[in-house]
This record gives sequence, structure tokens and C-alpha cells, in this order.
Amino acid sequence: MNTSYTAITPSILEELKAIVGEHNLFTDTERIENYSHDETSKEQFSHMPEVVLTPISTEQISEVMKVADRYTIPVTPRGAGSGLSGGAIPIHGGIVLSVEKMNKVLEIDEANLTVTAEAGIVTNELNEQLKRTGLFFAGYPMSLETCFLGGNIAENAGGGKAVKYGVTGRYVLGMEVVTPQGEVVQLGGKVTKDVSGYDLKQLYIGSEGTLGIITKATIRLLGVPKYASNLLVPFRTAQDAISVVPLIMKQGIIPTSIEFMDKSSLEMSCSYLNESLPLEGVGAMLLIEIDGTDEQQVEHDLIQVGDLCSGHKAMEVYIAEDATTRERIWSIRRNIAEAIKVYSPIQSLEDVVVPIGSIPLVLPCLEQLSGKYNMRIPCYGHAGDGNLHATLVKNPESSMEEWLEMEPRLLSEFYAFIVGELGGKISGEHGIGLKRRSFFKDVTPRPEYQLLCAVKQALDPKNIMNPGKILL
Amino acid sequence: MHSIVLIKQVPQTSDVQMDKETGTMIRSGSTSILNPLDVYALETALQIKDRNGGRVTVITMGPASAVKVLKEAIAMGCDDVYHLNDRAFAGSDTWATSYVLAKAIEKIGIPDLVITGERATDGDTAQVGPAVASWLDLPVLTYVASIENLTSDSLIVERLIEEGYQRVQSPLPALLTVVKEIAEPRLPTLRGKKRAMATNIVTWSASDLDADQAFMGLRGSPTRVVKIATPKVSRQCRMVKVEDDDSLIEAVDQLFTFLEERDLLGGLNA
Repeated sequence: MNTSYTAITPSILEELKAIVGEHNLFTDTERIENYSHDETSKEQFSHMPEVVLTPISTEQISEVMKVADRYTIPVTPRGAGSGLSGGAIPIHGGIVLSVEKMNKVLEIDEANLTVTAEAGIVTNELNEQLKRTGLFFAGYPMSLETCFLGGNIAENAGGGKAVKYGVTGRYVLGMEVVTPQGEVVQLGGKVTKDVSGYDLKQLYIGSEGTLGIITKATIRLLGVPKYASNLLVPFRTAQDAISVVPLIMKQGIIPTSIEFMDKSSLEMSCSYLNESLPLEGVGAMLLIEIDGTDEQQVEHDLIQVGDLCSGHKAMEVYIAEDATTRERIWSIRRNIAEAIKVYSPIQSLEDVVVPIGSIPLVLPCLEQLSGKYNMRIPCYGHAGDGNLHATLVKNPESSMEEWLEMEPRLLSEFYAFIVGELGGKISGEHGIGLKRRSFFKDVTPRPEYQLLCAVKQALDPKNIMNPGKILL
Repeated sequence: MHSIVLIKQVPQTSDVQMDKETGTMIRSGSTSILNPLDVYALETALQIKDRNGGRVTVITMGPASAVKVLKEAIAMGCDDVYHLNDRAFAGSDTWATSYVLAKAIEKIGIPDLVITGERATDGDTAQVGPAVASWLDLPVLTYVASIENLTSDSLIVERLIEEGYQRVQSPLPALLTVVKEIAEPRLPTLRGKKRAMATNIVTWSASDLDADQAFMGLRGSPTRVVKIATPKVSRQCRMVKVEDDDSLIEAVDQLFTFLEERDLLGGLNA
């Protein structure tokens, strides 16, 4: 694949300025520095772009792509920069194209239960604007207060409610995409079924900006469930907690969420939040949410799941039915990543996913690796989906060199077990991006990897669309 | 040690919408929850029970839906609950409400401690607790941040006041209104919830209380809401641009003059 690009010259800058206007183009180091990294480790992955563009329309993006195509300039599309795999980092320099100014809701269609919005709208803001309709977008990435719709689609973001509602892709009915050559295409629409030709829309979902730029999307909406309640269930060991997950799923009740938090994650988050939850003797907790439209049904399901936990080694079953208490316990879960960063900013947030029946096997492997490499590996995540965020945390006593040497060795071992032994995948919702591309190549069978390369080659022969991501 | 905790059901603040015409709260459609500050009162009473033994009794006055907050109190570990529910109570202001609550406490029997939250998040008056103490002729300790020494006939508390903390000793029985920092509320448990579901909640009407009906409800309330207005916040700011050292000194001078004119410098300019 091509990796030879044209540097941006003053005359190319002028061409770009003529398209987006001078307010939507900047090159000063201080401002473009913000676009050189995402939520991955800045020390390990950041790279400066040559220019940042903040276009305000699809037409502008199309014209920019035509210029990039003509001169062979790499273009890195960017949402909120809340990604966790380095997908928005311009490792070949060139243009960062941020959709931050394209943040409007274009249409709420209550008859068809859809909303059409621009790619730069913040996920939470979309739901705020939908509030009056009693409808909502069921995607629930944990960064919903900052992340953009376009980024959610490009990464096929999951999150805390995927057990019941699935991931972002389930809700994307249609989208507008600008291709690497600058063509504007409309994929899908408001229809709920569509087998007219290859499912290109699905190809773009989770493509991490490597095949084109998503500029608008039409999202399927659901009625807001009126009632939701939570259980917070402590267990003596992580194994006890994880072992209950498949049993819950078997009951015929589909919880909205089954989140897992191990002892280290709980301790770090509770101390970060000044939360005095009793943790003595606790090895792990499950946070379970049930929602629905009938209050009695929600209560009934909550008790049934709670009883099941009680019968399977739960130390206690806490319930949170009102908004204040629910927010209190969700806040512990949401703040884990931030709390771990406070403990040690050098870390690697992992995202493996395994068949749910295999979740109990992941933890002993982590424990063994933690001992072997003398590294703390707090683990939490979406147990109901088999998606766990084990986080490799640099031992504050070891040097950066030691970390850089140990981290890939540990990950190779871990991924080999996840993929080879358990039939899992190395990323469930964060994406391959920059961070996992070499591991991805290692664990992917050759014929499959070649197919992926062929798709990329067909759609982006000059390799200008977010080059260096997913594929090596 | 017997504690009686007074709790209230309030609209969830994130749900509250104001009627722009009348300036009043639109209550229909909003979710009702246990007053978030009352959870600290419940926790305080439960911790006293954990340490000293005894019972925690909870009273709420309100419509049929208020049973929900009593069930939450049981789920947290409270022992007995009473629901004061009668059309005659409707529209009571803080004076009438405190009268009804005091009558209920008298009927149960004066406990060692009556504990309330600092205030309710809807009315925001912080009057009901002290008024109940007044009806019952009990010493009242407001804004209690910690309890230091609780014996069978007295206690020492730290009150949160503007300048810091004030230590006060009081004989028992007494009424305390507590602030958030007194305790971290425990989470309700499934066991507690099941107990709550099985509990038959005692409801008392006006006639059960041996109370004077002229002192309750809208007619028994001396408070008259004459007008509700939303305060308009207007800020008059003056922008001063600083470009170099000279204009910085000038800007600081202007800031001092601005504060001096408004008498906001206190002793600083002396």
C-alpha cells in the first residue's frame, strides 16, 4: 500500500483555504497540537498534522478530498478525539479533518422513528434534543458526554447498554459518506430492510475512517423505557462474579447492562470519587441494570436476577431504584478509566471480547500475566457482552524502557490466548486503529487479512484515507 | 435508643420544569423521589442503631404515592414506618405540616432523637424540623455535621456554621437536622426491599392523631403565596483589555476602583 505522500505546500494551503475559508483552517502549533492525539497514551502514539480543517458542509469535505486525491495527501477524519485506539491520530501528517462544526440535528421524523443528524453532534446532545419526543438513540458509549455520532459509527461504538440494545451499528439506517476521491454517496435510508446490492453501509460502520468520511447519518430511534433500576452485587472473588454472568443471561430476562468491576478497579474508582462503599473482602462486583415500560415488570425482573445472584455466592445484593442512587453506582463504573489514569498515566486500556461462556477463563489468564510481568492489570467492562477492559498499568517503579519492552510481550501472550484458545477478538468496541494494528495482523488468518487489504485497495487505491490504521 | 426520622417525597430536580407564565413548578409528569437530603437523616439514625441498638421509626406526610419513600427507608434498614395521609393535610405549609408531624410523634411517644434532613429540595425552607421541635418543646440542633458523644441522656454535636464548626451539648430528647457530611448513606439491599414489600404500612389520618383540624391543610396554614417570581439575574460587566505592562497596571487600578465603589474590598485597601 502506498505510504508516499505530498507535503502540504503554501499553494496547497491556499487551495484548501479557498474551500473551507480561513476560519476553518489552522496550522499554528499550539492549536494543531490538540489534534495530534486521542485518549491513547500521548507519549507513545501522538503525531502532529500539517494542517487542521474544520469544514462546515459535506460539499466542503468533498472538495477537500478532491484536492487530497489530486496531490496524494493523507487525510485523517476526526470526531471528538475520545477514541481509545489512536484512530484519529495523523501518523503521516497531512490533513486532520474535524467534523466538530457539523453538529446539527437535521430532521426528527417521528412517523418513521428516525433522526438525521450531522456527524459532529455530541451523542448526549442528540438525546437531549430527542427528549421531547419520548424517543432515544440507544447507543450508549461510556464517553457519551463528549463523543460524536460520526465517531460512534466509524468505531461502531458499544458501551454499557449493549447487552440489551446492541452496539451503534444496529441503529444506523442510512448515512452520507464522502469517498476518498471526493464523491458524495448516500447509503441506506429510512428503510428497515435492504438487500439491494452489497451492504456498503455496514462496511462503513466500524471502518475507523479508513474508507471515507461519514458526514450525516439517519438513526433508528426507540421509545424511552420509562423505568430502570440497578443491582450492585459484590462477590468474594472475580471468578464468582464472572461465573454468574452466563447464568443471568440464561434466565430469559435481558438486562440492559451487566458490568463487571474487579477489586483494583473498584478501589481506584471509589478512592478517586471519595465513595465509601464497603469493600472489605470484596473481590469483584457486578452492576446490573434492568429497564422497561412497566414498573412492576422491572421490579419483578430485578428481584429474580437479584435472587439468582444471592443463590450463587453474592455477598450482598444492593439495589438502586431512584435516580440519585443509580447515578451514585454508575458513577463508580464510569470513573474507573479516569481513576486508573490518576494511579498511573502510562497504561494500555485493552478491549478484548470473548464468547460469553468463556468470560470466566479470561481472569485466571490475566492473573497469571500480572504475576509474570509484575504489572497491575485492573479489569472491568461489559461482562454481559463478553467484552472486558483489562488495563495494563505501568508499575510506577519500572522505567519507561522496561514498560515499552514488556507491554507488547504481555499483549502478544494475552491476545494469543484470547483469539487462539477462546475464539475471541482483540477489540470489541474500541477498534484496531494505530495501537493494535501489528497485533491484529499477527492474530488474523492470512486469507482474511488479504480480503481486508483488497477492500481498502479497491476503495482507496492511493491510501490517503486515514492511512496506517487497522491495516499495516 | 429510639430515633424518629421525618422524610419527604419531592419532585426529582432534573425533571422539574417551571411554568413560564405563572412561575410555579409543573408537577404533573415529574418523577417523585425521596428528598435527597433526608437520606443522610436516615443514615444517621441507622448508624446510631448499629452502634447503640434500638429502633428507627420513619414518618412521612403526603399523598398515597409517598408510600414509596417509606419502603425505601425499610429497604435501608429502618424498623417502623408511618404514613400520614388525609385530604385534610393537603396544602399544608411548614407551620401546619410541622403541627401534624409533631402530633404523630406524640402519638408514637417522644423518642430519644428526632432527626430530619437539612431541608427539602422543593420548598427549600428548612423550617419543618425546627418547627416540629418547637411544637414538642424539644431542644433543636440544626446543621449537625457530626455526633461526638451520645449517651442515654445527652449528646455533643458539631454544627456546620458560616465560620466553621460549633460544638454544642444538649440534653435528650432533642431534634437534629443533619447536613450531608454527617454520613455516607448506605445502599438499600434486596433483603431490605423484600422486607419492605412484605410490610403493611400503617396509615394515619387526621382523626387518628388527636389533632385540631383548624391547624392543618390549606385553611390551617398561615402562609399565603401572594406572588411567585423568578428572579432575573443581570450581570453588568466591564471588559478591560490588557495588552502590555502599562495597560496591566491601569487595569488593576480600574479593578480596585470598581470594587471600592461597591464597598467590596473590606479591610484590604487600608
